[in-house]
Order: sequence, then structure tokens, then C-alpha cells
Amino acid sequence: MPLSPLRVAVVCSSNQNRSMEAHNILSKRGFIVRSFGTGTHVKLPGPAPDKPNVYDFKTTYDQMYNDLLRKDKELYTQNGILHMLDRNKRIKPRPERFQSCKDVFDLVVTCEERVYDQVLEDLNSREQETCQPVHVINVDIQDNHEEATLGAFLICELCQCIQHTDDMENDIDELLQEFEDKSGRTFLHTVCFY
Amino acid sequence: MASRSENIVCMSVASQFFTQDDGVDNMTTTERVVDLLNQAALISTESKLTILKQVQELIINKDPSLLDNFLDEMIAFQADKSIEVRKFVIGFIEEACKRDNELLLKLIANLNMLLRDENVNVVKKAILTMTQLYKVALQWMVRSRVISDKQDSCWEMVSDMVNDINQLLDSDNDGIRTHAIKFMESLIITLSPRMPDSDVPKRQENDISLDRVPKDHPYIKYDILCEYGKAALEQLLKFMVHPAISSINLTAALGSLATIARQRPMFMSEVIQAYETLHANLPPTLAKSQVSSVRKNLKLHLLSVLKHPSSVEFHTQITTLLLDLGTQQQEIARNMPNLKESRKRPRDETDQVLKKIKMDTPLVDDDEDKDLEVMPAVPAKSSAQSSQTDTDITAEFLQPLLTPENVANLVLISMVYLPETMPASFQATYTPVESAGTDVQIKHLARLMATQMTSAGIGPGVEQMKQQKVEFKEEKISKPENLLIKRRMSSLSQGQAISVVGSGVTVNLQEEIQAKRRPEPIIPAAPMRLAGTGIRKKIFRLNDVIKALTDVQVDNLKLSAVRRILRSERAVACSGAAQVRVKIMSRMVLQFDEILKSEVLSFILEDMRNRIDLAFAWLYQEYNTYLSHFPDGSPNDYDECLIGLLAGLQERPDQKDGVFTRLVLEAPLITDTALEVIRKYCEDESRSYLGMSTLRDLIFKRPSRQFQYLHVMLDLCSHEKDKVRQQALTFIKRMYEKEQLRDYIEKFALNYLQLLVHPNPPSVLFGADKDTEVAAPWTEETEKQCLYLYLALLPQNHKLIHELASVYTEAIADIKRTVLRAIDQPIRGMGMNSPELLLLVENCPKGAETLVTRCLHILTDKAPPSPELVKQVRDLYQKRLPDVRFLIPVLNGLEKKEIIQALPKLIKLNPIVVKEVFNRLLGTQHGEGNSSVSPLNPGELLIALHNIDSTKCDMKSIIKATNLCFGERNVYTSEVLAVVMQQLMEQNPLPILLMRTVIQSLTMYPRLGGFVMNILSRLIMKQVWKYPKVWEGFIKCCQRTKPQSFQVLLQLPPPQLSAVFEKCPELRETSCWAHVRSFTPHQQAHIPSSIMVILEASSKQELQTDLPQMEEEDMEQIVASRPAPQEMIAVRLAQEKALKRQLEEEQKLKQSRKTTVPPAPSLEEIMDFREEGPEVETPTIFISMEEESGVAEPDQDGTISAKVSVQPALPTMLLDSKSPEAGQGDAQEEASSVPASSDKESKTTKEAVGDATTTANDTVNEAEGKSPETTAGGTLPDDESEEPVEQGTAEKQES
Repeated sequence: MPLSPLRVAVVCSSNQNRSMEAHNILSKRGFIVRSFGTGTHVKLPGPAPDKPNVYDFKTTYDQMYNDLLRKDKELYTQNGILHMLDRNKRIKPRPERFQSCKDVFDLVVTCEERVYDQVLEDLNSREQETCQPVHVINVDIQDNHEEATLGAFLICELCQCIQHTDDMENDIDELLQEFEDKSGRTFLHTVCFY
Repeated sequence: MASRSENIVCMSVASQFFTQDDGVDNMTTTERVVDLLNQAALISTESKLTILKQVQELIINKDPSLLDNFLDEMIAFQADKSIEVRKFVIGFIEEACKRDNELLLKLIANLNMLLRDENVNVVKKAILTMTQLYKVALQWMVRSRVISDKQDSCWEMVSDMVNDINQLLDSDNDGIRTHAIKFMESLIITLSPRMPDSDVPKRQENDISLDRVPKDHPYIKYDILCEYGKAALEQLLKFMVHPAISSINLTAALGSLATIARQRPMFMSEVIQAYETLHANLPPTLAKSQVSSVRKNLKLHLLSVLKHPSSVEFHTQITTLLLDLGTQQQEIARNMPNLKESRKRPRDETDQVLKKIKMDTPLVDDDEDKDLEVMPAVPAKSSAQSSQTDTDITAEFLQPLLTPENVANLVLISMVYLPETMPASFQATYTPVESAGTDVQIKHLARLMATQMTSAGIGPGVEQMKQQKVEFKEEKISKPENLLIKRRMSSLSQGQAISVVGSGVTVNLQEEIQAKRRPEPIIPAAPMRLAGTGIRKKIFRLNDVIKALTDVQVDNLKLSAVRRILRSERAVACSGAAQVRVKIMSRMVLQFDEILKSEVLSFILEDMRNRIDLAFAWLYQEYNTYLSHFPDGSPNDYDECLIGLLAGLQERPDQKDGVFTRLVLEAPLITDTALEVIRKYCEDESRSYLGMSTLRDLIFKRPSRQFQYLHVMLDLCSHEKDKVRQQALTFIKRMYEKEQLRDYIEKFALNYLQLLVHPNPPSVLFGADKDTEVAAPWTEETEKQCLYLYLALLPQNHKLIHELASVYTEAIADIKRTVLRAIDQPIRGMGMNSPELLLLVENCPKGAETLVTRCLHILTDKAPPSPELVKQVRDLYQKRLPDVRFLIPVLNGLEKKEIIQALPKLIKLNPIVVKEVFNRLLGTQHGEGNSSVSPLNPGELLIALHNIDSTKCDMKSIIKATNLCFGERNVYTSEVLAVVMQQLMEQNPLPILLMRTVIQSLTMYPRLGGFVMNILSRLIMKQVWKYPKVWEGFIKCCQRTKPQSFQVLLQLPPPQLSAVFEKCPELRETSCWAHVRSFTPHQQAHIPSSIMVILEASSKQELQTDLPQMEEEDMEQIVASRPAPQEMIAVRLAQEKALKRQLEEEQKLKQSRKTTVPPAPSLEEIMDFREEGPEVETPTIFISMEEESGVAEPDQDGTISAKVSVQPALPTMLLDSKSPEAGQGDAQEEASSVPASSDKESKTTKEAVGDATTTANDTVNEAEGKSPETTAGGTLPDDESEEPVEQGTAEKQES
């Protein structure tokens, strides 16, 4: 059954590492994908855990890149932040905030429970209009490069599976159960409506 | 308006098209739309969608006036193969209807169709659209005060669709269920009034809700809608407690409930209770992660409900639930509808949203700054009675009972029921019990237990609610509860180890409490969940659990399904849908295979009379199918159906009800095979009448194929079974009267008849199955086959006789015989007055004589011949064919003279024929139709026989003929015979056979003795000795009638007397002489002396030596002289010669006829040996006569004795007359005068004697010559073809 391509959103906190990694892979695999953050600000690691670099969502990746390059090129090259930003700016100009996006998706994948909660809260607080359903799935990914890459592949595999089902809404429940067994992770899953 | 904001979005899309538009010059919008639609029809799905979107933009937003014009074209795409296009059409319908509500009238049906689309995504889209359009439709209805019929039916359809979507809650598809839930949410909100405390999303501000429906609306009834809304909510709640609900559905439902609670706070209590119930009884099918998701959702929605100002009265429950779900106190507090609180924590971004909502809603309990400890006091007291649920009541009831002691006991007891290992989900959701033993905690515990008890349907709250329900007839709450109980009970009975409400629960409060005690709310769900996660069968998949059936199974199932349908006949009939059933079944049967069809067939045949409707429906259905592919298709199926029915009927025992006929006559087409079945039916002897009358009806009622049917009927006319044939002939005869069929029948019959000309029977005569093309000879069967029909028609069309005659002449002898045998009935049917028949007799074609004769016989068998017939026959006889046999049938129509003339010829025929002739003449034909009066009476006949000229006919034939007469004892009574003898005696000369007849008469009727004596006396007077034959008979007669005859003998002149004695010495020696001596002397004196001399002489036996001397004397002299012994001797010599020869012949004959000759009585034998009597035949005749006479005698005793009473007197009279003669002179004279007269005659008879001897010789010679023939069966016919006639007659007589 030829289905219309799945409209996917990948959401993490700052729309930098996990969501962008997944965005990168998914778009390479031909998905219509967008990525978001749910935080109020974009936070990047700073020289110390209590001193993060904080930007608002209007700041482009390029600006951030240049900013960090200017601040401490060695540090940010070493921890891979620059590399990450460099990749990101090639994908899209700037991070996006999920709560500000009014576009409609079929599937929203979040990268940690907190983000999942925020997404749900946002979606539930929106005024319902079309009642079109959107499935929200949480895949817990630790916020580092390696996990991000692994998580991105997992998300990609998940999306592919969903894309290939005949009837996504009918099959998704079972699909997730299988996936849980296979990956040894648990997924939170719910449905919301636009 | 919702649509408006969407339009803006659409506009932005549309603007692109408009820029394109500008590029395309100044095409009118109409042209552009037409152009686009034309393109859309041809291109691929993707670009089609783009184009269609353009069209939608153009006709909905740019120029709505065009909407109506292109509506049909757009809607036509709903049949598109692509799902996306169909979904688009649904979207278009939504937009169009929003733009122009009137379009609902047209489009709602299309939407309804799409709602039933095979693709789930289309259905989902349709549900979504309905969510919108329901509101639109309701608004539209409310707006219009006058409702047209169309609008009415449109609204009805909308309502139906709403019901349908409600039904979709039970759909197999998870997604569809989810959509249905959302639809329900919208429906519930629409069908309930908006209250001041309702949350109203900005977009939906203008949406219709129940409060905007006027209560006096003529069509839309406020109350009904309100009830409907409540029912929908109930349904949703019910759905939610379904134990097998999927997690997605559950989350969706939770969200929906939250929305409902916020927008319609009136339902708050139901929602909260549903949450509580769910929390305590999470579906066992959920997996671990799903439980987390659901709990997270529940928490989220509880928080959102908590924010709503109207939730205040439920804060306790909500808080308790939230705490159980692991929510932090702070978070709960943060979400309290409290402005101050929210102001205190402005940092959380979620508060922004929260704040917004709170600002919008009037805050009632704003200033309440409650601690958790204070909160419990709020709900119980403040909650209105109306909102107090059963759980509340039970909780209140339980609360004071939960003393630490009781609780400890409960824990101890329930320990027993704990599972071995701690369920994973328990571990996951477990939150340590805070503030144990506090009032709050006790209250919480009470509430948890109350929830469980309510779920199990026990506790004071439930009972109280039940009472209420009974009182108010309100069922809202109980329904989901009860349902849940049932499910739980069933799971319990399946052996779940841990049960919260055990089966052992009694009314005893203490035990109840103990049973209730349980540490954590979710435990009841835990074991079930364990099982669920373990087995991993959360989602039911049809494909996993079904197995493909084997072909045999499939067939069996099909068969039994069909059987069930068939057996349901009575049930359906009772419900009055018999007609519909017949209709449906007939269509269904068409698609069946052979086995199923035969099943249906036998079902129909079981009770044909009552199921004939079905039979016809089926038959016509088959015919219809055949017609629909007319020139190409074959009517095989139809044929099979018809044959099946007909053949089935044929097997049924009795068919008096005419079902067969009806079936045949009403069948739309009689195929060849069907005709064959009908034919078989006709051939069945027990049903031939029914079959043929059906066939006849077919012939008359289906003129187009009339002759085909007629041919079958005609074929049956020569059927081998007699009964069938007769039946067919009867029918054909009746049909023959019809002008239009006449020719065909005649031709057919003629064709068959003409087959007889062939030397061998053509193969037509044998059934197709008998492959006998070899030249088999004609048999009687085959011959008759050709004849039946033709002969049956004969009485109706006499002209046919000529053709029959001409065929007859050409046919071989065998066939001729068959024809002659077969024509009996038809000829009789024609009657002797038939002009055609007379014409046939008149013309009598060469070779058809026997046929004509046979016809004549048949005609006159039972009735006297008509004058015309007689005339024709006479003409034929006289002018063309002088064969006397023609005359036989019409004998009685001839004149006396003619008969007598023909008599010699007639009696020369075959004895059987002669017998028949006599039967006719004497009227002794068997049967009753002998009304014919012969022109000759029996006496005349016998006389005529005596008078036959012996030159024309041999004596033997005459004797035989007379014997035949004597055989008819009933006809030839003693009177008749007396008359005959009288008349014969008076003839001159005396007939040769006179004495024979006399003797025979005497033998038959011994009482005629007196009369015979009289005759004998008179014969003496006629000088009987001059007729040698008669004289012989005379002597013999005397011999037989002694001693009576002595008186007669004594009257003879002496020479004759001595001749008698010469011939029969015993007469003289023993009796006559003794007789005379017994006389008184006076009497003796009367006897002439000459006689006495003879008597005495004979006693001395001198006469023996005298006689040779007399022989030597001149014969002439002796003859001339009065007593002429010489003459007697001469006669005797001549006779002896002849007799010797005759004797020899006779002995030969006797040998050959031994069988027919009964043992002769001793008397006759003696007579034969001693006398060598001339009457060779007489013994046989006498024997038979004597035998008969003995029997017949007593019958006629009375009458005869009366009539013949004179006769015995005769001899005495003679004696008397003689005795005076002897004594007186005149007597002497008299006596002398007698010899005198005899003298005169003696001279004349001298020649006659010579004649007689020669005749006798001749007779013998003739007899000699013909005897072999006689033994062989009488005179042979000169014509070869006569044989059949005689055989035929013989056969007839036998039968």
C-alpha cells in the first residue's frame, strides 16, 4: 500500500546533538523530517558544568559555531561541539523550538522523558482543531555523541519499520513491543491530537 | 469560525496558483477549472492532487459561485484508485459544506459512502471530517426554522452516520477506534450545554453546543440531543473500562475525558471516577512500558483537570490519585487553580499556559490557600448530593472502620494471597506510603478500597446508587460498573490467584473489610499484567490465530451453511419474509457449484408443492442469466436446473397435484433434454396421462415449437407399451380434430404406414438405442408400430382407408395378416354406412380382396348389413369377383333365392367358414348383436340343404352342413324338425338324405318316435323302397325303433317285408315274429296271410336258399312284379359293392380320426358288423346325437309330450284301422289298394334305382377322391390369400 511519506519530528532538549544526529540520518534515508528542541533556551556545554553556553533559538548554528570558535577553539574542538555545530549548520540554519512550530506531524520522537513530558504538555495545551492524531514516542538517549549516534540509528530503524507498516496506527503498538524486546529499552508512547 | 482561519492558510497556498493564474493570461475561472479538471483526469496521483487542490481553491475560495457547477466533477474523484485522492475528496466535501451548508444535502451521502471505504485511512479521514461537519450540520439545522423533507433525510443520515461512528468504537482497527474516540469527544461536547465555568477554546467559541439549540425548535429536540450526548459519554466510559483496551485507545480516551471535564464541568464527577477506576484497574493486557505511558498520561490529564476551577470539589480524589501516580506535592500545588501560587512560581514555562487559562476562567476558590491536611475536609461535606458517587459513599462508610487493628488484620489475611514474586509493574509504580496512620492516609485507603468494592459491585454506596437508579430510572453510572464486575468475575473464575474482592466475601462487615485490605491500588491489575507481559499477546492479530481450512472443510462448511439456510424456511416464513428469502436464495443458488445446487434441488423436491416458488425463482434466474449472454451463452445451467426438477419429480411417487404440469408449462424454455424427460414421463405407464396432458398443453400453448412437441406425442403413438400407446392415441385423436394439427398428424401417420411397403423394417422403428440397421425381418411388433396411429385416425377420416388398401396390396403376406388383425376396431368405428368404405368395396383394388372381405366381416359381425353394403357386395360378386366368400358377411342381407343359390358353394368352403355361414344364417352368432334376421328360417335352411342338387355339391358337404344344423339344438327343436320332416316327405322325389335326417331327429328327440312312425307309414305309402338310399334308411330306422316299428313293418307289402327280414334277420326271428305271435288270434287274423308266410318262412330259414333262386330270375321281372325279392337282391348287391369300398374308406378314415371318434355304443357296432350298413357316417353322428339327447331330453319333456301326444296314438290308430281291415272287407280293399299304388310306382322307380346306385357310386368315388383333402382341413381355397382370412376368423373365435 503506497502510503504518504511519514512526517517525522525528532525532539530533544536543545536541538543540537541527539535530535540533529537523528535528523541527519533520517533525512539521508529519505524521510521528511524536522528536528526541534523543547527547552526555553539552547544550551551547549561550557568550560564547566555550571557554566553552559546559552543561546536563544534565534541564534543560528553558524553564529554559535563562530562564538565558540572564538571562545575556546581547542576545548570545543576536543569535545566535538564545533564538529557538531558544523554538521548542524549544514542541515539547517538554526535550532527550532517545538512549542513554536505549528506544523503537523504524524510521528514525534523525543529523546528523553522530560522532553516527552514537555511535548505532551504542549500538544495537550494546544487548542484542538482537526483532531488529527500524532503519535509521540520517547526513546531515551543520553546526551553524548556516541549515544546520540546509536540512538539516531535506533530512531531511524523505528521510523523505517513504522513507515513500512500497512496501517501505522493499528500496528504501532505491537511494533513498539517488538522493538522493546529487541533493543532492551522501553519506549513511552502516546497519542495526541491536533 | 474554525474554517476561516484555515482559509487563511489555504490562501497562502492558493496565492501561488494565482500568480500562476496571472501568467496564464485572462482565462476565466470557469475555463481554468475545466482545464484543470481535464488534466486531473489523466495524470498521476501526485500531480492530480496538486491540480485538484487548485480547483478546490478556485471554486471554494476564489469563486464560490462555481462550486455548484463543478461539484459533481470533483466528487467523481471519490472513486479514484488513489487513497490520497479519496482523502482529498473528503477534505473537499468538508470545505464545500462549510462554505455552503446547503451542499450537505448533496454531499452527505458521498461522505457516508467514503465512511465505508475499504481503506482505513480514508475512513479515518471521513471520521475526522464528520467531527467537523456534525457541528456544521447541527448549526445549519438549528438555523433553519422550516425543515424540508430533503433536509430532514439529510439530518437523518447524519444521525445514522454518528451512530455508525459510535459503532466504530468496536472496530478491529486501532486507528479507527482512536478516531472514533475523538469523534465521541466532540460529539459529547457539542451535545451538552456550555456553562459559565466551561473552558472554551478560542477557535471553538462560535461552535454550536447544546445551549445554542433553542428548546422550541420544531425539528431538533433539545432533550433528545441532551440525552444522546449523555449516552455517548456513557458509551465512552464503558469503552474505557474494557479490559482489553489498547494503550493508544486508552490514552486517547483519557485525553478526551480531560477535555470533556474541562469544557463541560458538569461531567467532572464521572470523569474523575473513571480515572479512579482506571487507576485501580489498569487493563491487564498492557505491557510495562505501556503502563508507564498510561500513568504518565493519566497524571498529565489529572493535572490539567486539576487546573480547572470546577475541579475544586474533587481535589481530594485528584490529589490522592496524583500522589499515587508519583507526582510531587509541589507539582500538585503548582497546578492548583490558584492565582497566588502560580504567581509565586513564574519561572516554569508551563505556567505561562496555565496562567493564560486561569486568567480566562473565573476563579471561584481563588483565595483558598489550602494545605494538604486541610483538603480532605472539603469534598465530602461540600459535595452536593448529586455529585456524591457510590465510591464516595462507600469510602465514607469505610473510613471509620479502618482502625489500625482492622488494617493490620487485613494485611495479615491478604498476605496469603500475595504472589510469589513481586510483579515488575508493582515495583515500577510503587510509591512508599507517606504519613501512614494519618487521617488523610486513612481516608485515602478508604477511598482505594471503596473504588475496588464499587468495581466489584458491593458496598453501601453501590446499593444506595442502585436504589437511586431504580427510583430515577437513571442508568448512567451503573452500566460501566456492572460491566466491569462481570469481566472481573470472569477473570476470577479463571483462577487468578490474587483477588481483591474474593468469592468468599460475605455481608459480614468485618470480613468484608479484611478482604478489602490491600497495600497498593494497582495490585489487582498486577497479576493479570504479569500474565499479559509474559505471554506478550497484547495485540490481537487475526492472522496469528486463524488457520486456513482445508478444501474439504471449506466444502463441508459451505454445505452445512447452505443447509442451515435451507432449513430456516419455517422461521423465515413466520417472520413474513418468505418472498424475500426466495428472491435472495434464487440469486444465491446461481453462484453455487454443483454439490450445493443439488442440495438445493433435493430440498425443493422434498416438498415441491410448497417450494415451487423457489424452484421457479431459481429457474427464471438461470434463464435470465442465459438470456443476458444470449447469443453466446449456452443454457446448460438452465437446462440442468430444469432437468433436475423434472427428473426429480419423476422419481417422486405420486404427482396428483399437477406440479409437474405447472413446471413444464411455466418454464420459460423447454430444452431438448427437458423434452426428453417429459417424454420419459409419458412413457411411464403410471403417469402417462399426466405426462401427455402436459405435452398436449405444451402443443397448444407453445405454437412456435408446436410440431416439435407434437412429434414426440406422435412417436409415443407407436410405443411398445400398450397403455402408453393407447393414451397417446387418445390424445392424438383429439388433436386430430384441430385444423392446424391435422395435416401434420396425417402426414406422420402416412409416413409410418408407408414404411410397411419396405421389404424390411426401417431403422426408424427401433429406438435410437437399438442399433439395428441390419435388415431385421418384420415382426408383428414392428408392423403394428406402423399401423397404430394410422388406424386410430381411420374412424375420424374415412378417406384414409384407400391409402391403407393400396399399402396393403403392396405389402408382404405377414404384414397383410397383421393388418387384417389390426383393423377390427377402426373399421367398426367407421361403420358400414361410411361412403368411403362403400367406395372401397365398390372399387376393391386388386390384391385387396382379403382386406375388403375382412372389412365386411368386421362390419357385419355384430350388426345386420345395411342395404347399401349388401348392394355393393352383390354388385362386386356378380360383376367382378365371383367369390362366394364375399357374400358371407352380407348373407343376411341377401334374398332367400340368392342364398339358396349360393348355398352349394358356401358349404363347400372350409368347415370353419361353413360354420360361420351357418351361424349367420341361423342367427346363432356368439355375442348379442345377432339381431339380424336371416331371410331363411332354420327349417327352410335345412330343407334347402336337402334339396341341393348333388351335381352341384357332393353329398359329404351336404351331410356335414346338415350335421351343423343338428348341432344347433336350440334352433332345431323337435317342432322345427317335425315340420322339416313333414315337408321333406311331401316332396317328390324324396330327398336322399330324408331318412338320415329322420333318424338323426329321432336320436336327438326320442319322443318324436310316434311322429316318426307316422312318417314311416306314410313313406310306405309313397313306396319308399323305390328310393334305395331312403329305403336303406327306412330299414335302419325300423331297426332302431323296434318294437314300435313292427306295426309299420307289418304294413309293408310282403316282398318288401321279406327284403327287410333278409337284411335284418334278427327283426324277423327274434322280435317281429314274437310280436305277431303275441297278438291275439283275432289280431293275427288281420295280418295278411302273405305276410304271415314270410314271417313263418323266415323263421324256417328257407328263404336263404330261395333268394339265390330268385336272383337268378330276371331282374326286370322281379322289379316289375309286386313282391320283388329279386329286385331287392339286385339292389343289395349293388349296394354291397359300393359299401365294401366305402367301408374300406371309412376304416381308413376312422384310423385317422381316431381322436375325434368316441367309442361307439355296442348297438351300433353290432349293427355295423352285421349289416355292413350303408350309412358310414351315421355312426359318428348318431353317437354324438345319442349322447346329447340324453341330456336334452328332460328339458323338452313337457312341451313335447303335450304337442306330440297325438303321435303315440298314430300307430294304434293304424292298428285299429287295420284290425277292422283284417276283419272286414273294406279293410281288405284298403290293404290291397296300398300295394296297388306301390305297384305303379315300382315301375318308375326302377330307373331311379339304377340312377341311385350310380349316384351312390359317384358319391363314393367323389368321397374317395376328396377324402385326403377333407382330412387336411376341408376344401382348400383357390386363392392363396384366403388363408389369412380363415386364420383370422379362427383367431377371433378363439378369443
